[in-house]
Amino acid sequence: MKSKIVKITGIAAAAALLAGGVTACTSGTAGNSSDSAAANAVTTLDFWGWVPGLEDLVTEWNTNNPDIQVTFHRMTGDDGTKVEAAVDAGAGPDIVQVSTHDLPSYIISGRVQDITAYVSDTESNFTPSSWASVTFNDAVYGVPQGVGPAATMYREDILAKYDIAVPTTWDEYLEAARKLHAANPKLYIANLSSSEIGQWMQEVQQAEGSWYGIDGDAWTVGVNDSASQQVAQRWQTLLDEHLVTTEQMWTPAYWSLVNKGTIATITYAAWFPVSLETNAPDTTGLWRVASMPKNTGSTYAGDSGGAADVVLKGAKNPEAAAKFISWLNGSDDTQEALITVGGLFPSTNSGLASSSLVQPVDFFGGHSINEVFVDAANNTPSTWVDGPNYNIAKTAVTDEFAKVIEGTETFAQALDNAQEATVSDLEAQGLSVSSSGE
Amino acid sequence: MTTVPRLVEGAQRPRRRKNAAGGKRLVPYLFIAPFLVLFAVFLVTPIFVALWNSLFSAQSLGLGFGGVQTVFVGLDNFIRAFVDSDFIASFGRVLLYGLVQVPVMMIFATALAMLFDSALVRGKRFFQFAVFLPYAIPGVIAALLWGFLYQPAVSPLLQGLQNLGISPDLLAPGTVLWSITNVSIWSYTGINMIILFSALQAIPREMFEAARLDGAGELRIAISIKLPMIAPAVMLTILSSIIGTLQLFNEPQVLKSVTSSISSDYTPNMAIYAASTLGKDSHLGSAMAIILGVVTLLISVVLLKSRSDSKEGVGD
Repeated sequence: MKSKIVKITGIAAAAALLAGGVTACTSGTAGNSSDSAAANAVTTLDFWGWVPGLEDLVTEWNTNNPDIQVTFHRMTGDDGTKVEAAVDAGAGPDIVQVSTHDLPSYIISGRVQDITAYVSDTESNFTPSSWASVTFNDAVYGVPQGVGPAATMYREDILAKYDIAVPTTWDEYLEAARKLHAANPKLYIANLSSSEIGQWMQEVQQAEGSWYGIDGDAWTVGVNDSASQQVAQRWQTLLDEHLVTTEQMWTPAYWSLVNKGTIATITYAAWFPVSLETNAPDTTGLWRVASMPKNTGSTYAGDSGGAADVVLKGAKNPEAAAKFISWLNGSDDTQEALITVGGLFPSTNSGLASSSLVQPVDFFGGHSINEVFVDAANNTPSTWVDGPNYNIAKTAVTDEFAKVIEGTETFAQALDNAQEATVSDLEAQGLSVSSSGE
Repeated sequence: MTTVPRLVEGAQRPRRRKNAAGGKRLVPYLFIAPFLVLFAVFLVTPIFVALWNSLFSAQSLGLGFGGVQTVFVGLDNFIRAFVDSDFIASFGRVLLYGLVQVPVMMIFATALAMLFDSALVRGKRFFQFAVFLPYAIPGVIAALLWGFLYQPAVSPLLQGLQNLGISPDLLAPGTVLWSITNVSIWSYTGINMIILFSALQAIPREMFEAARLDGAGELRIAISIKLPMIAPAVMLTILSSIIGTLQLFNEPQVLKSVTSSISSDYTPNMAIYAASTLGKDSHLGSAMAIILGVVTLLISVVLLKSRSDSKEGVGD
């Protein structure tokens, strides 16, 4: 009998240790990549990205550039989280599309290459704010691929029915919320999703706040800065007065609310209208777009962040890679495809001037909606700075906001907790954190 | 690791054999070599890599643009894990879940296995298949399916209940753990039922005849003969269920996308994922994984120990 116990304990031990091994698989540190010897004549580049229609643009490039051949891999699901492990294992692509919020963490961990020397010609076609989002410490680490200026999509029929004017300030927005819900208790001005960090960030940015900043040789953290407090107060009021629904965005339940016309406004980035059109077909023709409500005494709109193509550590020929991504994102020839097929809001001057940007959209009652987004892009404050542990801050904020929606803490407390978590993670990485920020 | 005692046992055997078959001693090792190699590469090595990793930390200076150095930090990562109240709370959560999920599932599995083993059930094959089928559905898909059924706006079940005037919120902070429990009971009852059923089938039929001759009814046979005879199988399934409990990941991770009631560190494995993959700190993640492994080991040993004690106490 004893031997049986020993045996079962052995099994238990093995099973338990298996749990211990889980993360070890992903934790390998940098290995030397040795894919293939440097090609003599033809450079081949692996490119991972998610923008629709990139396949066609890559084909076009390959036809015109026989010496630099690009293969494209469409990123889906959690491919984004795989990139870093792939780079560390020496099996990463040469070029990858990343959110600009994630860029500092890539730079600090040494997973991207400095391409300043190769992209100076391209810079002039990009808007200063988008170029700033790929520049750190005077070095350029990527080429911008679209930005996310925000505007408010609203149900014209609902607001008209209850005689509510489109709110132009956040104060009017609150009044509109009260009036709408009082007139029909089944209707709400908006949905507040604790997990949708972009909607939070665009309003913090609009209020000239930033999660991070640089103070000499140290980072500052502003997850609970005064701009965030201002936004927190706004949503705390809307939440406390039960003027918003609280479904998680992108869920069937959320789209059901949108399709049923329960929520009257959605404030989000320029890439959102396409999603709205796909997921709320019942509401075709009923939506319009207006500038997002303004803060008192300000004309600023917000932006939830853009993307960039970066050259990863393992790339053998960074110059060729930089040349390709400069063409892909900065060339006048590619703007129309990126805008119409890719659904990108351009980060280039030629893209912003492109006539394809202002086509009428049937879903929005035949109006050209991008003029509003162009206006927003031109009125975005340049205060936002991305920092090294964006993912930690984002996870902390969304976890804490969930508690706010549960009603177990306030937005103000949630911001303080997330601030603390973000600072302590930075310090655990050995980075300097200055408290002189906000 | 488990091979070491065997080696020692072998050495204590009579010498005669050993001398007679000097070269042949290699053969058994050749037979187990495929297993041993895979075991070493995919189980033992990762454990040591994780242990090694957990003692280091990636450190930068100033703004961090100067590069990253991996420095030895001793047990710092373990201390960070232990002072993380959310990580500790995640253990409490899965233990609470296990206290309900494992007994309920085992009672279902045992009762169903007994029913199928008895002569009472008609359409046995069909019902067995029906009970087993959920296990064939991958955990992620199962959680997605149930995720739909838990959302009032799209769930036919909840809409039906609403018509009756009942509108339960199955994704609220207080109820979501039991909604997860429901998914895993649904998923894993089948496989446990099959294991117990085959254990029942292995019982010599003469025993039932003997019991019937002694005047025992079906219920009495089930309780006094079948249950004790399949006790080892029950133990095995309980143990693997408890290990599964501590490793809970798929169901809450999927349901997280439809409810804000599940935090990113809801279960220990989710906290490890959040630290290593989202937080990009594989060193901290390794330390947390080792803590989870040790806790699992301790619980398994305590459970097995308590069973052997109680068995001695009964004294059959």
